Amino acid sequence: MKSPITISGNRGEETPPAPPLDLESIRTFGPFRAYADDIRVDTGVEPDKYVKTHCCFCGQQCGLQLKVKDNTIIGIEPWYEFPFNQGMLCPKGVKRYLQQDHPDRLLHAYEKDSVAPGGFRPIPYPEAIRRVAASIDRLQNEFGRDAFAVLSGASLTTEKTYLMGKFAHMCLRTANIDYNGRLCMVSAAAANKKAFGIDRAANPWSDILGAEVILVSGANIAECAPITTNYVWQAREHGAKVIVVDPRITPLARTCDLFLPVKPGRDTALFNGILHLMIENDWLDHDFIAKHTVDFDAAAGQAREWTPSRTAEVTGIAEKAIRRAAELWGTARTSFLLHARGLEHHSHGVMNVLSAINIVLASGRIGRPNCGYSTITGQGNGQGGREHGQKCDQLPGGRDLDNPEHRAYVAKVWGIDPGDLPRSGADAYEIIRKIDRGEIKGLLSICFNPVVSLPDSNFVRQALAKLDFYVAIDFFMSETARYAHLVLPGSLQEEDEGTVTQVEGRIIRINKAVDCPGEARPDWQIIQDIAQFLGRERGFTFSSPREMFEELRIASKGGVADYSGVTYERIEENFGVFWPCPSETPEGVPTPGPQGTPRLFEPESWNPVAKGAGPFYFPDGRARFHGIPYSGPAEDVDGDFPIILTTGRVVSQFLSGNQTRRIGPLVDHYPEPRVEMHPRLASRLGVGDGDWVTVESRRGSCTLRSLVVNTIRPDTVFIPYHWPGRKSANQLTIAAQDPISKIPEYKVCAVRVRKADGPPEYAGLLEPQQ
Amino acid sequence: MTREVSIATSWGVGLTLALGALIVAGSRNLAHFDAALVAYTFSILFATFGLTYRYAMWLQRPPTAVYWRRGWQVFFRSGWRLRNAGTWFRRLVSEFLANRFIFQRNRLRGITHLLIMWGCLIAVAITFPLVFGWLHFQPVAGDLSLYEAVIFGFPVFRFPHESAVAFFLFHGLVWASFLVIAGVMLAMRRRMREEGAAALQRFAEDFMPLILLFAVSLTGLMLTASYTWMKGYGYTFIAILHAITVIGTFLWLPFGKFFHIFQRPAQMGVGFYKDVGRAEAKACCRGCGHAFTSRMHVEDLMEVERKLGYRYEIPGTEAEHYQWICPSCRRASLAIAQGLLWRGRRGGVPLEADARAISMPVRVNRGMGEGPLGVEDAENFYP
Amino acid sequence: MARRNTRGSLNPNSESVLLMPVPDNLEFFIDPSRCIGCQACIQACSECDTHKGQSMIQLDWVDRAQSTQTVPVVCMHCESPTCAEVCPADAIKRTGDGVVQTARKPRCIACNNCVLACPFGVPKMNTGMNLMMKCDMCYDRASVGLKPMCASVCPSQALAFGTREEMARLRPSARPANTFQFGAQTIRTKVNIMIPRDSPTDIVDVTSSMYEPALGCELLDGLFAESLYEG
Repeated sequence: MKSPITISGNRGEETPPAPPLDLESIRTFGPFRAYADDIRVDTGVEPDKYVKTHCCFCGQQCGLQLKVKDNTIIGIEPWYEFPFNQGMLCPKGVKRYLQQDHPDRLLHAYEKDSVAPGGFRPIPYPEAIRRVAASIDRLQNEFGRDAFAVLSGASLTTEKTYLMGKFAHMCLRTANIDYNGRLCMVSAAAANKKAFGIDRAANPWSDILGAEVILVSGANIAECAPITTNYVWQAREHGAKVIVVDPRITPLARTCDLFLPVKPGRDTALFNGILHLMIENDWLDHDFIAKHTVDFDAAAGQAREWTPSRTAEVTGIAEKAIRRAAELWGTARTSFLLHARGLEHHSHGVMNVLSAINIVLASGRIGRPNCGYSTITGQGNGQGGREHGQKCDQLPGGRDLDNPEHRAYVAKVWGIDPGDLPRSGADAYEIIRKIDRGEIKGLLSICFNPVVSLPDSNFVRQALAKLDFYVAIDFFMSETARYAHLVLPGSLQEEDEGTVTQVEGRIIRINKAVDCPGEARPDWQIIQDIAQFLGRERGFTFSSPREMFEELRIASKGGVADYSGVTYERIEENFGVFWPCPSETPEGVPTPGPQGTPRLFEPESWNPVAKGAGPFYFPDGRARFHGIPYSGPAEDVDGDFPIILTTGRVVSQFLSGNQTRRIGPLVDHYPEPRVEMHPRLASRLGVGDGDWVTVESRRGSCTLRSLVVNTIRPDTVFIPYHWPGRKSANQLTIAAQDPISKIPEYKVCAVRVRKADGPPEYAGLLEPQQ
Repeated sequence: MTREVSIATSWGVGLTLALGALIVAGSRNLAHFDAALVAYTFSILFATFGLTYRYAMWLQRPPTAVYWRRGWQVFFRSGWRLRNAGTWFRRLVSEFLANRFIFQRNRLRGITHLLIMWGCLIAVAITFPLVFGWLHFQPVAGDLSLYEAVIFGFPVFRFPHESAVAFFLFHGLVWASFLVIAGVMLAMRRRMREEGAAALQRFAEDFMPLILLFAVSLTGLMLTASYTWMKGYGYTFIAILHAITVIGTFLWLPFGKFFHIFQRPAQMGVGFYKDVGRAEAKACCRGCGHAFTSRMHVEDLMEVERKLGYRYEIPGTEAEHYQWICPSCRRASLAIAQGLLWRGRRGGVPLEADARAISMPVRVNRGMGEGPLGVEDAENFYP
Repeated sequence: MARRNTRGSLNPNSESVLLMPVPDNLEFFIDPSRCIGCQACIQACSECDTHKGQSMIQLDWVDRAQSTQTVPVVCMHCESPTCAEVCPADAIKRTGDGVVQTARKPRCIACNNCVLACPFGVPKMNTGMNLMMKCDMCYDRASVGLKPMCASVCPSQALAFGTREEMARLRPSARPANTFQFGAQTIRTKVNIMIPRDSPTDIVDVTSSMYEPALGCELLDGLFAESLYEG
């Protein structure tokens, strides 16, 4: 059957084959599960030291202490003083330490060798670096500089992300660098820039506590940002009403005041509908709209046609519930709107976010205590990682690669000619397509596992196999690294120091707890070693993350994401510093306090774009409404594929699972992906709880066990995406992308589901995490 | 004097007198009884009374009494006797002689306990018969190179006094004290460094026994050292010191931690109780319907609770007694009860279940790989 | 912060150092309605220094097919602990400050009485080790004023440890209760459960709610505009 949508580059009629089982590679490189043993369960061991640092996983970046004994992390101890989480942790944070001293850890550089066990043989590190440099040289000479691409990640420290951007733009001079935040935060980032001129949480989380209404849209807070739960509950104790918009009854939704079971992909309709009712009932802050915003009429114009009945029809939510939501939101005195990937992972993700921002701006409840708005950043350094130049169109300080002034400033800091800086390049998925088309011949990847995390993963595998030269930097042999020609042993978060910027925009310190084992070394040293072998070491001779941070301060100075006033010491003294934190401001404008700028858009605040004209980051100082035309998902259900598939996370796993699938207690927590479906759908399909079911889309199929529960819409199935190979939900998902942010549409695609003929081939062969 | 105390006292007096009679008989009217050891004898007689008294009191507590009675009943249940005897022997070896269950807690703890236990057993096996006059050695008339062991007045076997047998036999206490000292050292080390021990331990309960055992072993070794290498230097003083430590230990037996030596065999009875329970009628939870233990166990517990004054009956419901509800359902009920108090105050409404009328609680993580606890525990609930 | 200094326990002569009481003003509060089932408590429990690698806390789905509701249960530390009274081996002790401790290892004969008798379903039996293990409120931590592991990490603070004043300030719509009804039996506990401030009753009647459905959101309760795969 021919797909009505052709998304994945020049893919032919043939669907790429299902992932190979690759048992030998798994036997050699894992993933295997690590459990606490020996010194880690000995109750008589006193740690050498307690290292205050942060969790290595999600964007909450909870503070914790690592207990270190003999260069091994033997456990964790809560860090009660850190204000964001006050000792609270989710299961991932508690067990993260088991990733260190792990049997799967890469201790050498590896070279692809089909006769070696697992397909790779160890080679000396200097030899590997020499080979990398030679291959880069060869490919760039032969096919042009842009033929070598870089894929980076948002779990790296800000220093490393800065270095990656600089490495690509200044050392390799390739336009093609992008990062895995492309799959995560970019819709919110783009929408925030369009509406506010700045891409950061508008408020610190403490503003949630005093909100009267909390609207959570497309965010499974309990599982993906667990610590935020306490903020929401705390507000509820003081009388806050909680509205949750989600196709599933998530743990937070269970006792919320109003649950809106939206049909996946119909969020703009819902927010337009709410805006419609706000206008109809005059639940608007006219003063705010007049003084601080523009284009309200455009938004109102689009909302006009979204009557409650039409909204109900499109969103699949009862009209009375929509009216109740609009009333709660419209009449509140204080409020906080939170959203996450559920709103953003769409081919119209930016529009979704802008439609949510519309109802915030219409209420005028932003830039004040207890009045706020934010996306919940997903990755560890999702915020910092999207600010300093590893995005395909970006330079440090949140500057634009295509803006001549910005180019000139950064070129000066780096001591190069602005003309030598490349222009904007391809986004992460486009890089894969270019590889498939043969336009990109070489790739360096770090902190990115696209074989598991990108949609339509069968296509991704097919593309990666075409690379002329691929080098991956990783601490474990990730599913993607297995496609590399060379694998370089990088560092875990606890083996290096630096800063990250967490969900609130708070810059915090990651402290080193242990040394890298074997020949592994900090990622930034590996990058600098490559630059040196390329003979282009100028600008890549940092001796520590602190030195990189000092340069980053200068490079970000005057930009929107201004870190110039931040120092390591200031961070540690104040439990983090919120950017923007300029080192100097014009006369008459006070520099931010010791904590930086926790709350954005305060009425009298100054920023370098508005220069006093208003609180928002546009020359006129005003926020932007946007008229939001409705568009459905790229691939809607039809007779052949009648069921909506939506994907997401479980609390015990993180992203592609390269780390968490190696931590035994977390694997046991939720061992294998299951297809969540409503009993009505299940009975129609003749499927019982725990049965094997086959889910097929136009791109692939997978067979998993079912989980039959009342807590999901009957027209939708849900599969968590942390698993590789034949268990991967991303075999099914669609590579349709938002035209602005280029985020893929993970949250909706059309599938059909049937009871499987029997257990899948992998059932008896693989452990749950493999 | 309550009924329980009179019963316990009678048992105590009775067993103490019986032991006294055996001593008189075994030493042939005290002919072989060493008067110098009389203090030891009396301390053992005292310990016998104390232990018996406490044991009898213990057995009369409702939970123990029920287990005691049932334990014997199931042991002698027809159709089970042969199997039970086999199991008894197997468990005697693996659990008691080899301390398997302690090794499962921790290997080092297993070694520690094994050393102390066998040290003490060997010492007791050698000293008690000697002290009671039940065993003595005498030269064989006519062959001066031979010794003869006399037990209860009957000559039993002969051995040359230059032989290995003699060396081991006469130095048995030395070997025993080496075992005990090594074990005590390991135990002390654990108590000093481990957080788990540090949180719960008490001086009298946990350190005192170790100190006593150490003192007994050390003074005993000093005696040997004194007569072997130091021509009896300070022998009398050391002998008195040794006597004090040993007698102190005996007097302490009924009160402190050592009582577990006599309680612990109850584990055997528990084993049979579980074996039989597993094979016979199950108790199915009157909440979720899962079998969660044996019917016998639930009924016995209800009896125990009644005797203790608990009133877990739920009249007018199909459950009848809270004991018929499985632990998972109890936890779920707690949440439901608390949730319902919040009805109308927080979000959420009572769910009109689609399919079932009652909830079906399941432990979120039944085998989370955190040591054996998870799986073992689950099996325990749902046999 | 150096975590603590319990190494004073090296001195075996001082009974008071060996067993420091849990400070009077610090109490445990549970609120199952806050629980999100994340299992942080289970994972953190096994990080406790006194029983590393083993988790004592109980966490159940109330009925996963119907609802995402989960319930965490720590030992409630009853004033007259049924578990201790039904123990044939006298293995369960209650300290002067009201903490019901886990079984004394030399005594516990693994009979399972406590597991089956506890009205809250708390103790766990480790059949391999012939040993009952249960939550003892992280005695090593609580007695030096630190929060127990589970209450430290709990992201929803369904498990909370602190003073009554703190709780009153943080949770103005709730108040603690510690009386439970099981059939004809009333049980009072050291650990509190949070009930509405204006609740007409102080007693949480567990058995009367036993056959009630759980609270949750009705997905199909007229919320949908369209009918979805009816029947």
